Amino acid sequence: MIIIAIVVGCIIGALIGTYMPVIPYTYSGYLAIAIIAALDSVFGAITSSLKKNFDIKIFVSGFFVNAILAMLLTYLGERLNIDIHLAAVVVFVGRMFNNLGIIRRYYVEKLSNKKIFKKAEETIKIANEQDKK
Amino acid sequence: MNKDKVILSIAIGIVCVILISVIFTQFKTIDEADIVGITTARDDELTAMLSTWKQKQEELQEQLDNTNQRIAEYNEKITSNQASEELLQEELEQTNLLTGQTDVVGEGVIVTLSDGEKSATITELLELINELRLAGAEAISINDQRIINMTEIVDTGGVILVNQERIVSPYVVKAIGDTKYLASALNSKNTGFIDSRRNSGLNIELEENANIKIYKYSGRREQLKFKYAKEVEE
Repeated sequence: MIIIAIVVGCIIGALIGTYMPVIPYTYSGYLAIAIIAALDSVFGAITSSLKKNFDIKIFVSGFFVNAILAMLLTYLGERLNIDIHLAAVVVFVGRMFNNLGIIRRYYVEKLSNKKIFKKAEETIKIANEQDKK
Repeated sequence: MNKDKVILSIAIGIVCVILISVIFTQFKTIDEADIVGITTARDDELTAMLSTWKQKQEELQEQLDNTNQRIAEYNEKITSNQASEELLQEELEQTNLLTGQTDVVGEGVIVTLSDGEKSATITELLELINELRLAGAEAISINDQRIINMTEIVDTGGVILVNQERIVSPYVVKAIGDTKYLASALNSKNTGFIDSRRNSGLNIELEENANIKIYKYSGRREQLKFKYAKEVEE
C-alpha cells in the first residue's frame, strides 16, 4: 500500500515537474536548498521507520518546515551577504549521510543475523539428531 | 483496511509528488541556465563586470574615433599632395611646350622655300618666321630644327645654321597654330610674304595640314641653362 503510494506519487510528481514552467534563475538557489532539506527529512523518516518510531505528523511537518526554514535562512544569508545556504547544505547533507549509514548498518546486520540464525538452527538440528541416536 | 494506513499512504504520496516535481523543475531550470560564467556570478559581480566592459568599450570607441580622425587627416594630406602634384605636372607640361622639350602635333601650315630664279636667303627665313610668330604660331621648325627662344638663325658665309646645325635648301618651315590665321597672314595679296617673294623669283609652296608633327628641340642642352640671368627676389 505504502509502496504503491510512493511509486504513484513519484510518477505524478515527475510528470508535473516536467510540464512546470521554468522558474527564474535567481530563485533556483532557494529551490535547491529546499530540495536538500526535504530529502534530509525523507531519509530521516526512513531511519525512524526502521527504528520503529516513525510518526507521520513529525515527518510531514519536518518535510515542509525544514524546507521553508532552509529557504528563509538562505534569503537571510542573501540579505546579510553571507553564504548561510552553505551551512544548511553541510548540515543537511551530513545528516543525510548519517541516516544512510544507519539504514545501511540496519540491513547489513539483518542479513548477517539471518545467516547466523541459519547456522544456529543447523547446529541445533544436528545436535538433536545426535541426541536421538 | 486500516484507516491510519490509508492516511499514511496518501500523505506519503503527496510528499512524493511535491518532492519529485520540485526536483524535476530544478533540473530543468539548471539545464536551461547553462552559461558557466553567469551561473557562478552574482548580481553585483555581473553589474561590476558590465560597468568594466562598458568603460572598456568607451575607451575603445574613443581610440577608434582618434584613429578615424587621423586617417581622415592623412587622406586630406594625400589629396592636397595630389592636387599640388597635378599643378606641378601641368606647369611642367606648359614649360615643356614653351621650351620645345617635347614633340608636338596639331593643325598648322607647312611652307616650303625652294630655289627658283633666286635662292632663298636668311632674310626670307627670318621674315617668314617673324610673320608666323605674328600670326600666333605656337611651335615652329625649319628642316625639323625646332625654333625656341634660344635658337639662332645665322648665315656664316653662305651656310645657314639653325641651333648650330647646318641646313640646306629646300627649307621646310612647319608651324602649328590657327591654320586660317597663319595662311591668311602669309597669303595677303601683293604685300603678303608669299606674293611678294614669289614676285621676286622664289619658289614658295604653302600647305595647310590638320596634323603636323614638330619634333622637340634637338640642340645642345647647355644652351638652355641660365648662368648669368638670375630671378629677382621680390
